[in-house]
Amino acid sequence: MGYHLRKLAFYLVALWAAVTLNFVVPRMMPGNPVDILMAKLQQRGGTVDPGARKAYETLLGTGGRDSVLHEYFAYLGNLARGDLGISVSAFPAKVSDVIGDALPWTVVLVGLATLLSFLLGVGLGAVVGWKRGTWLDALVPATTVLSAVPYFWLALILVAVLSSGLGWFPLNGGYDVVLDPGWSAEFIGSALYHGALPALTIVISSIGGWLLGMRNMMVSAMSEDYVLTARAKGLTDSRIMVRYAARNAVLPSVAGFAISLGFVVSGSIVTEQVFSYPGIGSKLLQAVQNNDYALMQGIFLVITIAVLGANLVVDLLYGLIDARTRDRSTVS
Amino acid sequence: MFLLKRLCTLGLAVLLAAGCASSGGRGQSRDTLVVYTGQAGDFQLNFNPYSPTFIEGMGTINEPLFFFNIAADQPPKPLLGTAYSWNGDGTELSITLRDNVSWSDGQKFTAKDVVFTLGMVAKNPALNKTAFQGTATATDDTHVVVKFPEPSYMDGPQVLGQMWIMPEHVWKDIANPATEVNPKPVGTGPFVLDDFKPQSFTLKANPKYWGGEPALKRIRYLSLSGNQAGVDALKAGSIDWQTGPIPDLKDIEKNYPGYKAITLPLNQVALFTCSNAQLGCQGAQTDPAVRRAIYYGMNRTQINSLAFQNVNSEMSPGFTLLPRDNALVSSKLTDRLAPMNPNTAKANELLTSAGYVKGADGIYAKDGKPLTLSVKVVAGWTDYITALETLAQQLLQIGIKITPQQLSWNEWADARGRGQYELLIDSVEQGPAPDPYYTYAYFFSTAATAPAGQSAYPNYSRFSNATVDQALAELKKTDRGNPARRQHYDAIQVELEKYMPYIPVLTGGVPNEYNAKAFTGWPSKDDLYAFPAVWKRPDASQVYVKLKPAGQ
Repeated sequence: MGYHLRKLAFYLVALWAAVTLNFVVPRMMPGNPVDILMAKLQQRGGTVDPGARKAYETLLGTGGRDSVLHEYFAYLGNLARGDLGISVSAFPAKVSDVIGDALPWTVVLVGLATLLSFLLGVGLGAVVGWKRGTWLDALVPATTVLSAVPYFWLALILVAVLSSGLGWFPLNGGYDVVLDPGWSAEFIGSALYHGALPALTIVISSIGGWLLGMRNMMVSAMSEDYVLTARAKGLTDSRIMVRYAARNAVLPSVAGFAISLGFVVSGSIVTEQVFSYPGIGSKLLQAVQNNDYALMQGIFLVITIAVLGANLVVDLLYGLIDARTRDRSTVS
Repeated sequence: MFLLKRLCTLGLAVLLAAGCASSGGRGQSRDTLVVYTGQAGDFQLNFNPYSPTFIEGMGTINEPLFFFNIAADQPPKPLLGTAYSWNGDGTELSITLRDNVSWSDGQKFTAKDVVFTLGMVAKNPALNKTAFQGTATATDDTHVVVKFPEPSYMDGPQVLGQMWIMPEHVWKDIANPATEVNPKPVGTGPFVLDDFKPQSFTLKANPKYWGGEPALKRIRYLSLSGNQAGVDALKAGSIDWQTGPIPDLKDIEKNYPGYKAITLPLNQVALFTCSNAQLGCQGAQTDPAVRRAIYYGMNRTQINSLAFQNVNSEMSPGFTLLPRDNALVSSKLTDRLAPMNPNTAKANELLTSAGYVKGADGIYAKDGKPLTLSVKVVAGWTDYITALETLAQQLLQIGIKITPQQLSWNEWADARGRGQYELLIDSVEQGPAPDPYYTYAYFFSTAATAPAGQSAYPNYSRFSNATVDQALAELKKTDRGNPARRQHYDAIQVELEKYMPYIPVLTGGVPNEYNAKAFTGWPSKDDLYAFPAVWKRPDASQVYVKLKPAGQ
């Protein structure tokens, strides 16, 4: 029980530190939202009347009358009540609404792509590790090269070839804009179709890591005594590979996967930018570009909670699975 | 590579399952115009034209009283108003309204709506973007009088052309109009909202429009991730109109079959200088001789061809927008137009007589300080960056060293607002009517600036000049069209040429690409009925009304 309490206390401190950083970091950025907004409007052929600046200052309430400390406690208080504030860049929408609209797209796209990449990578890694020394070993450098290629470049190349060139996939967007979002088959089909290429790029660029890790664990698991014992018992190869070697080899990958699930909500800013995909990454970019403190804080908070939550779950699960991590006295 | 193949097949399977859904409305019948206004990321529902985050509605849904065309020096076009006149001293504006107009929900439009709208703006500082101080009263259903506390001829275009008339019967119940998002907009305009989705929204023709139902049946607004996505979409033929540079613009008809481009001057590219040492600016650029030397050392022909694809044009050091303001260019200017080729002798002479001495490295210096300046530019603004790199080479010829400094957008905007820069490259903008008065009042008046360290808007140069302020005060009291304005324009232009707080570079062209095959009626150089930038409101609404599907 002491183990779990210790862990929970640690995570609470980590949460407080993260929340405080969320408050501090955006405020260290140069500029203020009103000037950014004015400059944006001006660039888009809007008004440059000096009166407009005063009006927007009044509207957005960035007078800077309160002290930073006061703002900080107000921020903590609002967080405790679940009030993330009003987004300046999507004024007057609530931050929670902006995040709520964007989050499902990211979670589904990046979540599915991460899952797919994990399953494929681990599956292939197990096979490659099992059959080491055969032509399958070539998969390791091949997928590693794809991971090493800068992601944005890989994505742009795939867009140029598969979308612009061959026309197999749509260029951008999350769904066909003539359709109404909803649970109709047509819309879901369109969303799948639009998500296929972005997901493909994520899978291609991340599969190498899973494959390499799994393959190496597989190789070392195969030299363990229990594999030798299983062989001696005359078990079939497939049974040894799946139930004995892979089962043990996959443990570190599962931990890695759980942590990467936490990062799913932070989305992939580059993916969403390249494909004009609606999601949390593009919202984060929008927030940063507009000095939208409330939106930045909101998104950072969601990311923080997701990452900490995933870590906590992994920590607790490991405590259950592996007694060595739970009780210090049994180690060494 | 078998994995890649496998995944491609997987992707293909999804593709087939989804059927061949059309992308971006290409498969639509061609009475739908698809536009890209530069919206990056999803649309956030907001049809309140008084909100800074509006997505549409100015002119299309909610009309102003008159349309002021800043692209050409023309009389304003009557919309909800039919005529207006000022009293003798410019404190009373009488407006006659159109009689046969109804709101899109069926109610009749009357003078009460105008009085309500102007009152709402005057009462709400958060809506009052033009510092409007008048009081409006309705004399009958079609006549409104607006009284101002002081002569306000120059506020006319703001009141008549930038106040979007809202329906009193809907808006009187809105507690806080500044935070209203107006999800079901009611307007008098040629279009009404059809449907809204975060990735795109559609306006449809208003069958009850007082000017007759527009030939264009639908306008679809798309959101894309930025300029590159815009160019890709243009290439794929999935948008019909966008504003912004594209590669190889002059061969547009070859590269993008069916599309045409028009480039029109809207602003003036200049080197902004933090010019006023008295207001706290620091650096060699606070010396007018240095600014003028840069002006003469510039090879504008080369900058135009290397950085701007030759779409920019000559500009006048008096900051009149050419060719629109041709008639206003002062005869008292030394250079009617900024020289396109460098005048090295003149630049050297200016610096020498200001006490600068050329050092061994070829750079001028004064009091032991070499003439080196940093110039700030936004990272990613490739045309400006190229221009500055070209300029840096050119200015070495006259013994001035400038160092381009690339900054993030926010950092740059902050430095500009607070005067924490020596030089930066940006453009000087226009006001609500075809009149350089607004440019002068915004960018050159003492009233629009602040000491360095505080936020100034929009006179970033900290320029403060009694002659200019005096002339602006006189212009404010004189009606547009009165020949007495001439001398004040002359006085301002002479001062601007003398001090150059913004060093003229070139008149900036705004390129627009449009689908000329599917739609007719676009503005052309011969018929500039509106400024043809898709993000310029209410100009875009004028274009929408004129457009016709080809063949109709």
